[in-house]
Amino acid sequence: MRKPDGKIVLLGDMNVGKTSLLQRYMERRFADTVSTVGGAFYLKQWRSYHISIWDTAGREQFHGLGSMYCRGAAAVILTYDVNHPQSLVELEERFLGLTETASTDCLFAIVGNKVDLSEEGASEGCETEGDSPGPAGGSAPSKGPKQVRLEEAVALYKKILKYKMLDEKDMPAAEQMCFETSAKTGHNVDLLFETLFDMVVPVILRQRAQGPPQTVDISRYKPPERTKSGCCA
Amino acid sequence: MEAGGDPAAPAPGDAEDLEDTRLPSEEAGDGGGVQEDPTDSEDRSLEETGSKTKDQPPSLLSPLPQSESPSCTRELWDPAASENNAMDDSESGSGGQGGDPSDEDWRSKRKHVFVLSEAGKPIYSRYGSVEALSTTMGVMTALVSFVQSAGDTIRAIYAEDHKLVFLQQGPLLLVAVSRTPQSAAQLREELLAVHAQIVSTLTRASVARIFARKQNYDLRRLLAGSERTLDRLLDSVERDPGALLLGAVRCVPLTRPLREALGTLLRRCTAPGLALSVLAVGGQLVTAAQERNVLAECRLDPADLQLLLNWVSAPAFAAGEAWAPVCLPRFNPDGFFYAYVARLDAMPVCLLLLGTDPEAFHDMATCRRLVEDGMHTLGAMRNLGEAASFSNAPSATAPSYSVQAVGAPGLRHFLYKPLDIPDHHRQLPQFTSPELEAPYSREEERQRLSDLYHRLHARLHSSSRPLRLIYHVAEKETLLAWVTSKFELYTCLSPLVTKAGAILVVTKLLRWVKKEEDRLFIRYPPKYSTPPAASSASTDQASHNGLFTGS
Repeated sequence: MRKPDGKIVLLGDMNVGKTSLLQRYMERRFADTVSTVGGAFYLKQWRSYHISIWDTAGREQFHGLGSMYCRGAAAVILTYDVNHPQSLVELEERFLGLTETASTDCLFAIVGNKVDLSEEGASEGCETEGDSPGPAGGSAPSKGPKQVRLEEAVALYKKILKYKMLDEKDMPAAEQMCFETSAKTGHNVDLLFETLFDMVVPVILRQRAQGPPQTVDISRYKPPERTKSGCCA
Repeated sequence: MEAGGDPAAPAPGDAEDLEDTRLPSEEAGDGGGVQEDPTDSEDRSLEETGSKTKDQPPSLLSPLPQSESPSCTRELWDPAASENNAMDDSESGSGGQGGDPSDEDWRSKRKHVFVLSEAGKPIYSRYGSVEALSTTMGVMTALVSFVQSAGDTIRAIYAEDHKLVFLQQGPLLLVAVSRTPQSAAQLREELLAVHAQIVSTLTRASVARIFARKQNYDLRRLLAGSERTLDRLLDSVERDPGALLLGAVRCVPLTRPLREALGTLLRRCTAPGLALSVLAVGGQLVTAAQERNVLAECRLDPADLQLLLNWVSAPAFAAGEAWAPVCLPRFNPDGFFYAYVARLDAMPVCLLLLGTDPEAFHDMATCRRLVEDGMHTLGAMRNLGEAASFSNAPSATAPSYSVQAVGAPGLRHFLYKPLDIPDHHRQLPQFTSPELEAPYSREEERQRLSDLYHRLHARLHSSSRPLRLIYHVAEKETLLAWVTSKFELYTCLSPLVTKAGAILVVTKLLRWVKKEEDRLFIRYPPKYSTPPAASSASTDQASHNGLFTGS
């Protein structure tokens, strides 16, 4: 089996668009998705590394699996919906706790998705106009002002660093790690994933340098050589 | 069993079902009195019956492709996509219903299914939005508690052409309000299947725990996203009858050597904690292998398997590899298994690996690669691909065959469930049926055929006066249903067939099934993955298996 070199986990309340973000990046398309059951696993090659991405279900009942998703994660993408302030609150209340099992130098990115549904997003989300968001957006609700400002995400990011007792100086700047995206138009999606991949690579290298991971690799286990002769040797 | 200690649950065969003795059409006018008070009239009787038909599993076969168009559009939408969408999309799917009980469209639905909490809090409704239904649900709770206060349990109300069936399962109350000819026993099986579906995502224990802690908990929070699975389950009863009605699973027609080779392959590819591996295409079973240590001497319940088959054919599993907890309600309603689900080679072929270790994802993924490689060696992918595209139906994803293959003119459709499979006690109940072709390609026609099958089934299995053979001349077709010690058969024939002609057709069909049985059914029970281990080890394993009580 190809062992993934690093691991990234998408977390966030249900219906903020985690699967859509991933689909936009991996498959270059936006589809109305169905709600994710449990977690889904994708493998992405980035330079010479294989990075696994876990797309998790935001639904509460799957949180039991959280520790497995996050174990040894090199980066966690915390996702909220810019039109639903509660989804940002949930990140702190419900999802941050799941990241306990991530690796100690785990990176955090905070992503406000669905900017296409708010006014500001509409004006700036023109990067991939070629995708003609027109026909698909037939049932788009009327656009209102964005409900969550980027500063709030930045504040959360700083709070997380404090909570994890990480030094702000050692970690990437908040401005660098907070994104506003639209899976529908593709706005900032590539930037998000590629920035993160680039940052994850050094983490992977550092992890490797630190020696073998906590998990026991039974495939390389060699039986200890017998030095003393037993009674029947 | 699913009934638990619940007073409302049908104790199999404890009483007779009077309803089952009324056979054909009582369908008439539109019933207005759906929510009438049970105390004020004689024409309804509180039913005192147990379900006679035993162990019917949730019918979860995905509908045949043609019929799928309406449901497809719905499935593409995330039910939880956004609160305001939830209602629109069900409207676009089924032709508009606001969920307001005074709404004509909503009232005209043939069958409603509701799930509510003991406190009367709405959890699920097949049609309309649950918010608009809170008063209606209030009436239902009132009915239930009214009868309860007299130390009794309400089971069903017959009101003109409507049947109301109530089923209490722990803190959940399930209600079916139906104008279909389904018997109360059949409706109860359907409600049990709905309950099993809910249990499979949450487990019975955690549902009980949630309501014990907070009686007015809004369970929709936890079920968000599962409503579509419930919709699909209920739709399949009308669009593609069989699985739930017969309590059996449908197998992909496949040559015996290939099926056995695949079975061997599944048995060979094991992973730590792996309990069950299943290969399926389009909601139909290819083959399965059980791990002896985990499921020793415990036959996999067809209802559980059917539930899994329905579950993995959900669009949520269309891409990537997925890892999710799932509960098998008949096996153990209180514990989770962990399921690895992947489509092999982007084909409709789906591999499901069920294990007991919540952290075994990567082991399962390795196991999947082994299966995939093995299948390439066998050339099975191509074969299964052919099986899937064999049907005439456009964009077929479910493998099936045409009724023409039987070579019996006049035969339009049939359901056949063998009862004489070798090693029967360890075998999965199975059935076969051809795809639904014209004149049953339209939704209404399918519904009509499904109704006819349900009627015949109810009549055959009537607990008061069971029959072995029914020859029924209906308006647009002739039907013959026959149950023997070797099989259970429902045939739909052209309306012009004579009785002698019908017998000839059925003889021909039986001969054909006999000839094809190796291909149509899994004739030999799924073998175990590992040879019988030392008994101490196996009991040790089995004792804690499936007992994870995550929430």
